[in-house]
Parts: sequence; structure tokens; C-alpha cells
Amino acid sequence: MHPVIRLVNRNLTISLNKGFLIWQVIFPLIYIFVAGFAYTSLIDFVPLGNKMLDYPAYIASGMIGFNIMNSTLVSGIIIWNDRRHGMFEQILVGPFTRTHYMLSNVYTIGIIGLISAALITAVGYPLFFRSIEFNFLTILLLVFASVAGSILFGSIASIISTRLKSSEGFNVVINTVFLFFAFVSTAFYPAEGAPEPLSTAFYFNPLTYLVDVVRAGIFGNFSALLTIEILVLAILALILFVIATKLLAKLEL
Amino acid sequence: MSCIVAKSLSKSYGSTTAVDSIDLAINSGKIFGFLGPNGAGKTTTIKLLTTLIAPTEGTINILGIDAVQHPLEVRKKIGVVLQQPSYEPTLSVEKSLEKYGMMWNVKRKTRKDRVEELLASFNLEEIRSIKNEDLSIGQRRRVQVAREFMHDMELLFLDEPTVGLDPSARRSLLDFIKKKAKEGLTIFFTTHILNEAEYICDEIAIINKGKIIAVDTPEELKNKFGMEKTIKIHVQETQKVLSNLLSGIKDYELDFNSGTNITIRSNDSEEVLLKILQILTTNNIPIEDLAVVPTSLEEIFLTMVKNSNASSD
Repeated sequence: MHPVIRLVNRNLTISLNKGFLIWQVIFPLIYIFVAGFAYTSLIDFVPLGNKMLDYPAYIASGMIGFNIMNSTLVSGIIIWNDRRHGMFEQILVGPFTRTHYMLSNVYTIGIIGLISAALITAVGYPLFFRSIEFNFLTILLLVFASVAGSILFGSIASIISTRLKSSEGFNVVINTVFLFFAFVSTAFYPAEGAPEPLSTAFYFNPLTYLVDVVRAGIFGNFSALLTIEILVLAILALILFVIATKLLAKLEL
Repeated sequence: MSCIVAKSLSKSYGSTTAVDSIDLAINSGKIFGFLGPNGAGKTTTIKLLTTLIAPTEGTINILGIDAVQHPLEVRKKIGVVLQQPSYEPTLSVEKSLEKYGMMWNVKRKTRKDRVEELLASFNLEEIRSIKNEDLSIGQRRRVQVAREFMHDMELLFLDEPTVGLDPSARRSLLDFIKKKAKEGLTIFFTTHILNEAEYICDEIAIINKGKIIAVDTPEELKNKFGMEKTIKIHVQETQKVLSNLLSGIKDYELDFNSGTNITIRSNDSEEVLLKILQILTTNNIPIEDLAVVPTSLEEIFLTMVKNSNASSD
């Protein structure tokens, strides 16, 4: 078995515990079914291309992107825990290289991202099935969004984990960054209705691009902006992955 | 055949030299002890030999492979128990061993057998289902050492493996290591506990301030550097009388608390002993006890480090 696959196996074993899986499902479910239906009285319909989505369908699709982002926290947690508990050095005196280690993290978060996306798609399906448009291209878009989003946010989590040594610092920084990403984005509400500075800030946030691509993958609303968003997502994921890999390579032992 | 050959090996961090041009040649199938005080360069040397860090200068050849050019090839053939704890907090003891074997690509059936064998050998059966995060420091250390035997290797590096272990666990670990060495495994072993080194090592190197100051078998080290002998005499007389009587003799110490213990530490201990016995007999001071204490590795180590520090200052 290839060393990267062996490390992915190990990463999934230590990451996919019951608590994590429950959190991955329960957390978005609360948003979808509590916030989704509670806010329906405030947000009636949301225009999306030539469609009008009801708010539960809008938030359910947004939660797929949100969950991909959330699941990539695993990447940062794996690196941080490995450093804290001595496994980073132990792995590197074994039959592995730093590249193996970084690639295994990417594959792990890619797999977890896909599982998360599939879980929320299954859970949210009853809410958005009326407007759904699945074909080869839209499914391809969903897979691209899951993988690119996982690499992008996983790299951010990895970068943070390589820079911080204390658990308090790691938790504060990662939660603050991810809170900003979550709420200054189109995951929960459309940019069009938000006040001007905020709606502009939405487009400085990679989660907005991820969520927009996911929605295009579900509802089939293609636009010129979507092509740019796909490119931004791919380029940003690549740049951040290179930075994360370089920082990991420089990590002193 | 040498399985570790290092030549002019150095590692510097800025202006600090952690390892200073050391040479090593370690034969296969032996237990090689690497001793030194804190900060002497033991762990840095292990990190260099296990390819975890690159040397500033020098060459390293492990099992016939150039470790600087082909670090991964070396790591596939060695086992390493680092000084710092390493564990997966959420995995049970049994699962830790099993997963570690999987990471080393050990076949499922072999993994299963080895897990059972190691749980028994390291007395871990009772805690097999307990998560690593809930173990005591000593238990975690036992798991860490046991885990390394899940995979095949030709050379094992053990960096202070007995830290945190109780005397019985320590002894059974040392015996396990001895058994593995007899089966052909080469072991590079560092420790602070010199009795351990004396108990298991075939050859010993002493490192101080990044330089190796002695390499030999424990017996030869004692022969070469253990000329000074220690003789202890216990008498009934008080210190005041004794110190007056022995005032003309060198190389002895009187325990001022009891005033009745005389310790002779000298390269010429027999002659000093004779003089003291003569004085005691002449003055009718009865001897209650007399013991010749063999020179321990610890005393040699302390003397050598002290001399090395003095010459470098």
C-alpha cells in the first residue's frame, strides 16, 4: 500500500470519531431546520438566476459549502495534534516524507469534504428537490467545489496550525477566522440584500465563491460570474496549498 | 560489519555547535550506549542519525546507505523511539499498536499476532482497551516502546526509553531489549541511568559539549579510567579524635556528621588504606566495617565529564 494511503487511513481513523460525525450532521441540521424555517417569515424568496428559491432551500444549499469548510478544520487539528503529541516527528522518522504527510492531509480533507457535502445534500434534499437540476456538469461542479473548497480551507487551517503552538491560541484564531468566513458570506443570506460595505466584503471571502459554485451545482444557474468564481477558487486553493506545504516543510524538528 | 558509520559529523544552530565533529562506528548486533549529561548533544546526534535533521558537516552511513542522500531508504530500515512522548490520544492501546503496524505496511495477520505478543511482553493486556490520553506517563511510554516492535527493522534507536518507568517495568524492558539484540537487532541506546547502560550495553560512548570523550566497552572504560578506588571504613571513635590522628594522610574524607566513617578515594588506595589501618591499630580504634566499593560506570562518567569540562574551560 502506498505510504500516502496508509497515512490517509490513519488520519481518517483518528478524525472520524462519533463526536465529529454527530457534530458534522447536527450542527448544519440546526441551521437548516431552525434558522431556515424561522427566517422564512423575514426572507420570503431568494432570487437565484431565473429561479426563486424559498429560504430553507437557499440555506440548505449554503450549508453544503459551510460544512465543507467546517470539515477542513480536521486538517489543522491533525497537524496541530500531531505536533503537540509528538506524532509529527514520529511519522517523519518512519517510512514517510513531509510531502507524503501533506498529501495525506489533502486527501483526508478531500474525503471528509465529499462525505460532508454528500451528508448535507442528502439531508437538505427534501428542501430543495423542487428546484434541483442535476446533470453531468452540475455533479462535476459539486465534486470540484468539494475538493477545491477542502484544499483551500484545509490549507488555511494547516497554515494556522503550523504558526501557533498553544491550544488556546490555535482555538481562538481558527474559530475567529472561520466565524468571519461563515457569516460574511452568501452561505446564510444573499449578498444583494445586505448593506453595501458588507455585500462587497462577501466577495473578499472564499466561502462565498465556494457556496456560489455549490449552488450552481445544485440549481444549475450558470453565469459569467460563476466562471470567474471557479477560477478564483482553483487559483486560491493552489496558492494556499503551496504556502501550507512550504510552511510545513520548514517546520523545525 | 558496521551498521552506523559517521565521520566528522557536526550540527550547528547559528553560533551554537550542538554536535562537534564526531566519529562513530557501530557494529551490527550490538547494543551501543550513548551517554552524556543534559544538553551534551545526545538527542541531536540521534536526530542526525535518524535523518530527522540534516548535518551541517560530515557524512552518515546507516546500514550501508548514505543517510544524507537517501534518508527515506534509511528510515524504512530503522525503528526510532524518540525521547519525547508520541501517541494518538483518542486511540486505545490495542488500536495504537494495530494502526502503527498498518502505517509500516505490516500484513494484517502479522499485525494481529504481533499486537497480542507485544501486549503480553510489555504487560499491557489489562489496559488494551484504554485510550492513550487516559494512561499514566509510564504506561504511555511502555506503549510507545512496544509500538516500535510492530514492524521489522535492522537497527533501533532508543532515546531514553525507560524515562517514567517503575523499576520492574524498566527491568523487563531492558531484558526485552537484550533479547532482541541476541536475535540480531542492533540497538543505539541513550540513557541517563548509568546502571542501565552497564547492564545492557556492549559498547559505550560518552559525549560532552558535542564531542565524544570516550568510546569502549564498559569493562575497558573501567580498566582505563577506573584506577581510583573507593574504600569505606566504619569505626567507633568520634570525628575529632580521628581527624587529629589522620591529619598527616592525604586522599581520605571523614564524614563530619557521624564522625565515624572514613572514605578513601585514591589511585593509590591500597597504600592509603595500609597507613590508616596502622594508625587505627596503634591507637586501639576498633574497625566495625570495611568495604571496597568497585568503581561504577557512574563514577567514571562523572569524572570524565568533570575532566572534559575542566579542559575545555
